[in-house]
Amino acid sequence: MGALTDKYCIVGVGETQQMRPSNRTTLSMACEAISNAMADAGLKPSDIDGMTSYQVADSTSSAHVATALGMRLNYCLDIFGGGSSTEALVAHAVGLIEAGYAKTIVCFRSMNGRSGRRMGGQIPGGPIPAAMAADDNQFNMGWGWTTPAQRFGMSAMRYLRDTGCTTKAFAEIAVAHRYHATLNPKAIYRSPITIEDHQRSRWVVKPFRLLDCCTETDVSAAIIVTSRERAYDLRHPPVFIMGGYARTMTESPQWNYSRPVIHYVAGNYGWKRAFGMAGISHRDVDFVSCYDAFTFTTLIQLEANGFCGHGEAGEFVKGGRLQIDHELPSNLSGGHLSEGYTHGVQMVIENVRQLRHRADDACPGWREGKHTYDRAKGCRQVKKARICCGMAWGWENMASCLILRGMAA
Amino acid sequence: MSEYTKPLPKPSPTSRPFWDAAKRHQLMLQRCGACGQFIYYPRDRCPNCFADELKWQRASGLGKVYSYTVVHRASSRHFMEPYILAIVELDEGPKMTTNIVADPRAVHVDMPVAVYFDDVTPDRTLVKFKAA
Repeated sequence: MGALTDKYCIVGVGETQQMRPSNRTTLSMACEAISNAMADAGLKPSDIDGMTSYQVADSTSSAHVATALGMRLNYCLDIFGGGSSTEALVAHAVGLIEAGYAKTIVCFRSMNGRSGRRMGGQIPGGPIPAAMAADDNQFNMGWGWTTPAQRFGMSAMRYLRDTGCTTKAFAEIAVAHRYHATLNPKAIYRSPITIEDHQRSRWVVKPFRLLDCCTETDVSAAIIVTSRERAYDLRHPPVFIMGGYARTMTESPQWNYSRPVIHYVAGNYGWKRAFGMAGISHRDVDFVSCYDAFTFTTLIQLEANGFCGHGEAGEFVKGGRLQIDHELPSNLSGGHLSEGYTHGVQMVIENVRQLRHRADDACPGWREGKHTYDRAKGCRQVKKARICCGMAWGWENMASCLILRGMAA
Repeated sequence: MSEYTKPLPKPSPTSRPFWDAAKRHQLMLQRCGACGQFIYYPRDRCPNCFADELKWQRASGLGKVYSYTVVHRASSRHFMEPYILAIVELDEGPKMTTNIVADPRAVHVDMPVAVYFDDVTPDRTLVKFKAA
């Protein structure tokens, strides 16, 4: 096991509503999310002495948030990054606290991802800024290659050809995550869908249909990390950080298309580190979260992280395997596909709530951990929620993972 | 002729020979003098052996489709839908991001293609491909 396994914990989680549009600043949303996370943990602003965030030049900074909340920080850092950053900042917090740079660190993301700067870089309906076709973008943007759907679509198309998988496997993921969203009062899309609904939805970027693509929302979300000893006195039983990997990369990381196999993604290089650190096997994992910017991104990460063999993910997800009460429930809040888009934070937040046995569902007693497990009545708590593997990525060539353990049975 | 409104690639000192060659309707790749590997996109050192003996060499312009997407919903109003984005694996080895100029229903993985030079402005030519 890793030297720091179980020494550090997630003690507070919080977010704003998923909004379209928010009509708010990213500062205002970040303050609300962090306040909610502090209330969840039973902490006050003076208890937080470290703050980190990630963004893609679309958000407020730690200094602004600390000023607004009246915090004096011993450590602050805002990084440039998208998916895979949440888990990396949690890893970062563990190292910082261990080394004595801070005691209790909040990590946040705040974005007007629908009403402001959308993924792909353009203002809605507007022109692409000329500067964007320079430097690193001179070999893609001029041909109309600008969006995540186009990039992942390229890997997905080749994956289908190399493995014989069909888009029905994509549908399994859309249906599973949507089913979980029907049990989540916070989710944007709450009507159940079928495999056929997926197959009938219109093309966005072939081989992706509308129901393969995540939603875009305005939201902020925050996570608080501290040491095990400090966690004992807080509001909830701690959720222990067992292990992970952080922004692990493939070879030739910036230009995925030049790699020998473009769908051999970064998780392949990381998962032995995470599972080794945690001292567990895949059989010990009760549920997963799996970054779903697209259905395909969930599919490919399951095999990259060793839950099944290469080229086998299409078979693996068949028959509702990723749905609650089946073998490996995935993205229990509905994920990016159906709950809303937080650049990965909400998956970690949902995992924490599940591991505490306090999924915020329709059960009247969820705050006390009392669940009915009756899905028809809106219960979304996994019965056996002890260990969770969270898999996240930014692109094919960069990924993170966070294995967490709860105390509830 | 109407004004070209799509984003135009801006050459860097390292990539300028590639863009200048495209304007002459030649596909030029870098090749490492030490290990012999062909390289795309243009750079300063060989990513295979780290030698700094890269030389420009004319490529055959032939290859096949490694993967592709058909864009039915573009992110910018400057691109007409649907269009084909592709990764073409050149006979020399490297892969290029490009467009296939074809009916979207006709394109497939492993389709043989040949280079096609699209003079989008008097100063800039985009390297695209058509069915071979």
